[in-house]
Amino acid sequence: MGDTFHHLLLGFSTALTATNLFYGFVGCFIGTIVGVLPGVGPLAGISMLLPTTFGLDTTSAIILLAGIYYGAMYGGSTTSILMRIPGEAASVVTCIDGYAMAQKGRAGPALAIAAIGSYIAGTLSVVGLMFLAPPLARFALRFGPPEYVSLLVLGLIVLGYMTGGSVIKNLAMIILGLLFGMIGIDQMTGYFRFSYGIVALGDGIGIVPVAVGLFGIAEILATAGQSDRPEVMKPRFRDLIPSRQEFKESWWPIGRGTVLGFLIGIIPGSAHIISTFVSYAVERRISKHPEKFGKGAVEGVAGPESANNAASCGALVPMLALGVPTGGIPAVLLASLMVHGINPGPLFIKEQPVVFWGLVASMYVGNVILLLLNLPLVGLFVNFLRIPYRILYPTILMFCVVGVYAVNSSFVDVGIMSVMGVLGYVLRKFEFETAPVVLGVVLAPIIEVSFRQSLAMSDGRYSIFVQRPVSVIFLASAVAMILLALKPLIWKKSGFRDQLTEAEKSG
Amino acid sequence: MKRHGIFLDGVMIICIACFGLAAGLSAAEEAYPSRPIQIIVPFPPGGVADLVARPFATALEKDLKQPVVVVNKTGAGGAVGMQTAAVAKPDGYTLMVALSSISVMPEVDILFNRPPTYKLEDFAPIALLTADPTILAVRKETPWKTVAEFVADAKRRPNEIKYSSSGVYGTMHVAMELFTHAAGIQLRHIPTAGGGPALTALLGGHVDCSSIGPNVAIPQVKAGALRVLACWGDKRLAALPDIPTLKELGYKDVEFYIWSGFFAPRATAPAAIKILREATRKAVNTPEFKTAMEKMETPIAYLDADDFQKFWDKDAKRLIEGVRNIGKVQ
Repeated sequence: MGDTFHHLLLGFSTALTATNLFYGFVGCFIGTIVGVLPGVGPLAGISMLLPTTFGLDTTSAIILLAGIYYGAMYGGSTTSILMRIPGEAASVVTCIDGYAMAQKGRAGPALAIAAIGSYIAGTLSVVGLMFLAPPLARFALRFGPPEYVSLLVLGLIVLGYMTGGSVIKNLAMIILGLLFGMIGIDQMTGYFRFSYGIVALGDGIGIVPVAVGLFGIAEILATAGQSDRPEVMKPRFRDLIPSRQEFKESWWPIGRGTVLGFLIGIIPGSAHIISTFVSYAVERRISKHPEKFGKGAVEGVAGPESANNAASCGALVPMLALGVPTGGIPAVLLASLMVHGINPGPLFIKEQPVVFWGLVASMYVGNVILLLLNLPLVGLFVNFLRIPYRILYPTILMFCVVGVYAVNSSFVDVGIMSVMGVLGYVLRKFEFETAPVVLGVVLAPIIEVSFRQSLAMSDGRYSIFVQRPVSVIFLASAVAMILLALKPLIWKKSGFRDQLTEAEKSG
Repeated sequence: MKRHGIFLDGVMIICIACFGLAAGLSAAEEAYPSRPIQIIVPFPPGGVADLVARPFATALEKDLKQPVVVVNKTGAGGAVGMQTAAVAKPDGYTLMVALSSISVMPEVDILFNRPPTYKLEDFAPIALLTADPTILAVRKETPWKTVAEFVADAKRRPNEIKYSSSGVYGTMHVAMELFTHAAGIQLRHIPTAGGGPALTALLGGHVDCSSIGPNVAIPQVKAGALRVLACWGDKRLAALPDIPTLKELGYKDVEFYIWSGFFAPRATAPAAIKILREATRKAVNTPEFKTAMEKMETPIAYLDADDFQKFWDKDAKRLIEGVRNIGKVQ
């Protein structure tokens, strides 16, 4: 413990120098903007700024880039809450209850809770990173293909609790998403699937165009298509601060979201968006008033927003502790270190204490900076809602198109976004929930590939799923949850769904 | 709804007009280079190609006196960016830095009876920049200390030893297959989504071995997590002087390099290519570029266009045959 404090002091002395404070601020600021702009996500932002860091000192460079990374997780909730347009792919879930809160005039509190939750989650997960990085990373490595399959099977069952309404409709949406996720080069054999000869579809249709299209473009089309003009909201200052009730309801979701997000983030290959979906589903399942979800439940904002901040920190754990990237963004961060001559591996923390602890300390500082940046800006952002729709929405549309194009300099992405936009509009008219589609697109490649990899590893024997302890735990939990859901059939007592329907009818 | 539609139509027309104007302006003829040059990198930022291309672009700028911008155009294992470069206007302002996988993809397309996204002949090589041979890394828990032990064990239990790769027909896959074909052994291939996941699978013990790039492996070796048995190069690696090459051990023609090369569309004017060759020669000798490559532990392996063409042809032949031997993965 004493050691850790020594190191932390070293870290703060590095992070709090004028230069590093400046770069940390710049990173957080750019990250917030990147998060707010629809389409452009942290990966695009970091990639664009990577070359500028080549000339900087190593610690400053990594502080800048990391700032963009978790800063984007703060900013992503802004447009999600205000306009139901995800600022970046992981903010899709916040659109659901966040926007509902905004429509009830609680946009300010939603933004504030999102910022506060993100701060708590960010800070707590840095603590986790600090103390537990090496053992956590080693644990994360034990996640192989069979564990992924079992985990995601459990996840899919948990996610069945995510949305209310007709089970059939939700299943249909998840399957639609899974089908979309099949597009692309089959990783195991090299076949191009459903690409219709367009090479750019080789990597699949991409989560960003889908999320921005299904939520953003669809929202714009739907609002434009309304026969009566929607009222422009005029929020009062009093309305910007969360009520005591809202605070009370948010603490536990923030805590749960942090833990869930951090654990899911550590797993290599898991997307942040999964942590937000799981957090939302768990909150809904645990809540005493599940019928509130979808209509502006603050838990539906607090939980997922904390989860995705914690996940972004968790994703750094294997990268820093073992030199193993968990996804695209940690890979670029690794590259920035490599360019400076540091090759992160298991000895990184020992051999480069200045960089590691400087980064850790800067993350504490960065979270504070972001909280201070975002909270006062709540008032500013909420005033965007005053702009007449006929000016606001075309501007947003332009940002969406430019943002989606900027991710990969690809017009194909813009085309996909447009198609998804129309699809999202149609689905809304028929009262289908579109969030499960996004989830399906994310999960399909992971589940399918992991399943086939597992079978390749075991030479075709299905027993591999029950031979490995971690995998067994997940599968057993999944079976337990199925039995729980079947409880009403066996014991003739009302289960979750029946209670929910009753509450919705009377509520 | 109608008002909205007209507004959007207006925006579209203005955008198209702007594009048209920009395209028209770029048709002017002047001394080369008179405009910023674009280097397409078909791989995501932070990858090998990207990390070589960026310092290289900065070094080129000094000689060409024009901004040289790196544009990442990812997708389909690099095919998207390579196709874009192949069909780009051959005016010398769109160039490409690509890796050795360029030789593999047209062959894979032929294997699958699809029209190839590009052909090797679409590119004129300007120079070879780096050439890292891959190395055979095994988990520290495995009993093999030499390649001979490894091969003997593989022969005893065919299709049991697992290896990870960055994807079917990717660099790690083809490299390993060249070796297994020459050694007459059968290993079980577990493709993953990329170099990172492949390394993760190896470190986590889900596979037994892998053919990976040296700068990723060396920190792990230093920390004791992995052991290196051999390398796929022509000569021993400077960073690992005790590791024999597969060539030394008797496996003829089993060489694999993750090389990065600088290309232009084939039809680019020879005058422009001459200028680029000269600029490249100067760029790779600048201290900034050398330091950048040293920091990344990627030795510079510069070859000018003609030597590069010879190297490329030989390497491509090896890789294409490797792909043909792999055939369609069942």
